[in-house]
Amino acid sequence: MEAGWPREYLRDHTAHILVIALLALYPPVYHILLNSPVSAETQMLLPTVETMVGVLYFGLFAISFDFISGYTGYLSFGHAVFYGTGAYTVILIANGKLPLLGPGTPFMLSLLVGGLIAIVLAMLVGLVSFRLSGVYFAMITLGFAQVFYVFVRGWDYVATNPRDGPAVGPSHAEGFQIGVPGIDQLSLSIGVLTGDEVALLGSTLSGTEVSYYMIGLVVLACYFAMQRVIHSPFGRVMIAIRENEERAVAIGYNTYLYKLGAFAISGFFAAVAGGLFAGFKRSASPENAFYFLVTGDALLASIIGGFGTLAGSLYGHLFDETVREFLSKAGQGGGLLPYLRALLGQETLDATLVGDTTIGGLIDLLLNGHASLYVGLVFVLFVLYVPDGLLGTLRARLGGTFAEALPAKLWGDSE
Amino acid sequence: MLRTQGLTKEFGGLTAVDSVDFELDAELCSLIGPNGAGKTTFFNLLTGTLSPTEGTVELRRDGTWEDITDASPHETASKGIHRSYQVTNVFPNSTVLENVRVAEQAHSDDATSFWRNVDHYDEFTERAHEILDRVGLSHRAEDLASTLSHGAKRKLEVAIALAGDPTVLLLDEPNAGVSSESVDEIRALIEAVAEDYPVLLVEHNMDIVMGVSDRVVVLHQGAVIADGPPAEVRANPDVQSAYLGGYEPGSLDDDTTAAGSDRDSEEGMA
Repeated sequence: MEAGWPREYLRDHTAHILVIALLALYPPVYHILLNSPVSAETQMLLPTVETMVGVLYFGLFAISFDFISGYTGYLSFGHAVFYGTGAYTVILIANGKLPLLGPGTPFMLSLLVGGLIAIVLAMLVGLVSFRLSGVYFAMITLGFAQVFYVFVRGWDYVATNPRDGPAVGPSHAEGFQIGVPGIDQLSLSIGVLTGDEVALLGSTLSGTEVSYYMIGLVVLACYFAMQRVIHSPFGRVMIAIRENEERAVAIGYNTYLYKLGAFAISGFFAAVAGGLFAGFKRSASPENAFYFLVTGDALLASIIGGFGTLAGSLYGHLFDETVREFLSKAGQGGGLLPYLRALLGQETLDATLVGDTTIGGLIDLLLNGHASLYVGLVFVLFVLYVPDGLLGTLRARLGGTFAEALPAKLWGDSE
Repeated sequence: MLRTQGLTKEFGGLTAVDSVDFELDAELCSLIGPNGAGKTTFFNLLTGTLSPTEGTVELRRDGTWEDITDASPHETASKGIHRSYQVTNVFPNSTVLENVRVAEQAHSDDATSFWRNVDHYDEFTERAHEILDRVGLSHRAEDLASTLSHGAKRKLEVAIALAGDPTVLLLDEPNAGVSSESVDEIRALIEAVAEDYPVLLVEHNMDIVMGVSDRVVVLHQGAVIADGPPAEVRANPDVQSAYLGGYEPGSLDDDTTAAGSDRDSEEGMA
């Protein structure tokens, strides 16, 4: 290695460092803005830190979905199975319901176990599904997912009421720890109520904020791992399969095995995402872990963020959540409706427009509980006008990936 | 290098390839025949895309014959039977370089490596550049394959087939649809490539077939009806009747049109 390599390395990763820094600064900036004159606007526009935790772990799930779907072209419509597997594994281990693994099993190990189970599942599902392609592959994976969904809904071993899903019981009352297993100094608990609080630079990070950073670290590590695979010879074969599977076979690749491998890797990371979700929320249900709409949300995130861009899926989900929260009613950090109510005041709200309709009634009619409708419209607009997604469009504009183009723009061309 | 014995493929009642005994040596052999003669089916049998109803396909490597009748397409490709396609069949949204590089990579154990960056494996990139030089596409290396002109795409087809040191090359109409100005370039490419590798060429342009081939094999209704040097085949009355339906024996130069039953193409053929 030459002497200048650390600088070179940092230079090449300017974009990554920038994004990580922005995400890392989010909680303090949000906190400061919330206590500033623009408090109401902040509450209306920006997602809460708790929402951002969800963006991170669900973003990871969307990234894992994009890994298989965006890079090999095989739409894994049953991807929620792996997410659910990870989530249920974490909770079952914590409740002492998985043989050999007691409630005291470190969370990091539970994540790994969930991932390994997902790999086995992916192999089984993939062995059958990869005999098909195109829409048939999507349909059969969806079919498998629904079978698992119905199965866990009725499996009363996992929870007393399997339809509501399991929750972490008294056998694991403390928070799940992310860090180096066995070393308390290098681990921190996550969870809204169970998370560790950390005193830092004269202020205190709440349990949610600590969760945000710790989950963020795991998500970051997973993202870099997947990105590494994409940039490897194996990843290039995945892209070749997406581009032209017939030719990939004709030049000597056993594409079946490559697809299975990619599916297993993708399933592993989906399960890690599910495990993080369960570790943070401390409960899961068939509806929010195994149901096909969970996959639908990942698809939405990938399309908005840019199919086949990996990182784009996270931004896509961030966009999706921000719009949703902006349009949802009070309760989770505000949004447009409570903001307008507070801004306009009761008198204006009571003023009648036409007939019996008051301004308040009209706002209510347009905004209350219709977040999904507007998100749906945004989705349609994206598919029509930004088909490459946020990151995909950016790449097309820059003529390369953002990570490659940014250093050149900022520091001039190397060499 | 490659031989078949009694190779037969039936689709229901139709015999597309009818007990073909064929052997390819270190030579440039052209396979010709009217539409539906079974040329593309024959190719697909050789590469394992289709499995024969009867007969065997064998490949000679390192001095011994190996039965590859039941090998799958990716296996025949790894064993060195490389083909190009009649209808352009490349990786459209990858760069020209990546098209060849990924094909080169296929012939290495490193293809399954999922942990090291692809830039670490310089040798694939180097060889891909050499092949692009050879087919005259090095100036387009960084462009997406979909942005190439049709003629350049045909060259890329051949370049992908050349990657990974083939044992035999099967070229399925490398000239399909190429404008008359570019035909000479592709023809020169075929001749240059044939000096290094045994080539089985399917071609409808009789100028090229008669000009470049060491040997010409004529398929008609799935069976071999003539096999020999170009001049001999040209004079063969059976061949003339197969092409012209028995009417006025004469030149073969200008009677060919669309090729295999399952593919369309080649406007602008001579």
